[in-house]
Amino acid sequence: MATPSRTEIISLFRSLLRSARQFPDYNIREYTKRRTIDSFRHNKTLSDPSSIAAAFSDGQSQLQVARRQSVVYSLYAPKIKSIMDVKP
Amino acid sequence: MASALRAAILGHVRVPVVVANGSKLLAPLWTHRTTAVRSMSSHDDHLEKNQVIDRILDIVKSFPKVDPSKVTPEVHFQKDLGLDSLDNVEIIMAIEEEFKLEIPDKEADKIDSCALAIEYVYNHPMAS
Repeated sequence: MATPSRTEIISLFRSLLRSARQFPDYNIREYTKRRTIDSFRHNKTLSDPSSIAAAFSDGQSQLQVARRQSVVYSLYAPKIKSIMDVKP
Repeated sequence: MASALRAAILGHVRVPVVVANGSKLLAPLWTHRTTAVRSMSSHDDHLEKNQVIDRILDIVKSFPKVDPSKVTPEVHFQKDLGLDSLDNVEIIMAIEEEFKLEIPDKEADKIDSCALAIEYVYNHPMAS
């Protein structure tokens, strides 16, 4: 498996954050965002090419999960907005 | 001389035929058309530069790792604020949300300082 380039990793990070925005539910949206940022930070120091590639492909499969789940969650969107979404 | 001129002008000026009821119906419609606000035009409510600068600085200052006192309109995210490339992406995403924009990846990669972000948002026709 080829080692992903820096731009590919940044692009995956951005795609994950974009897919996080799609969730209608505040809690899931924030969780997806937090989970993305935390795991990229956690793997920031990886230097071994094979572990970088493994983390990258794991991220890609998580992106598929997030995209699929945002569709599912949009079918069952909460009827009442979260208090955190209500701007004063 | 004057009377000849007057005749020449009057010959070209057309006085509309006024129908008592018809003019009342048509006149308000016409004036309404010319003065109506073009609500879908993007340039009517274009953002002020000061406003863009203030809002972008607020976003950058509210970022957890940033020391708010160091933030200026010219600050470079990675060189001056000690952020990394992931933080850079996070800030750009926050700017997208604030101004309700979608910045393409290629453009977003180039924005690495407050100055560039302000310029990009200010020149974006859809920023709000």
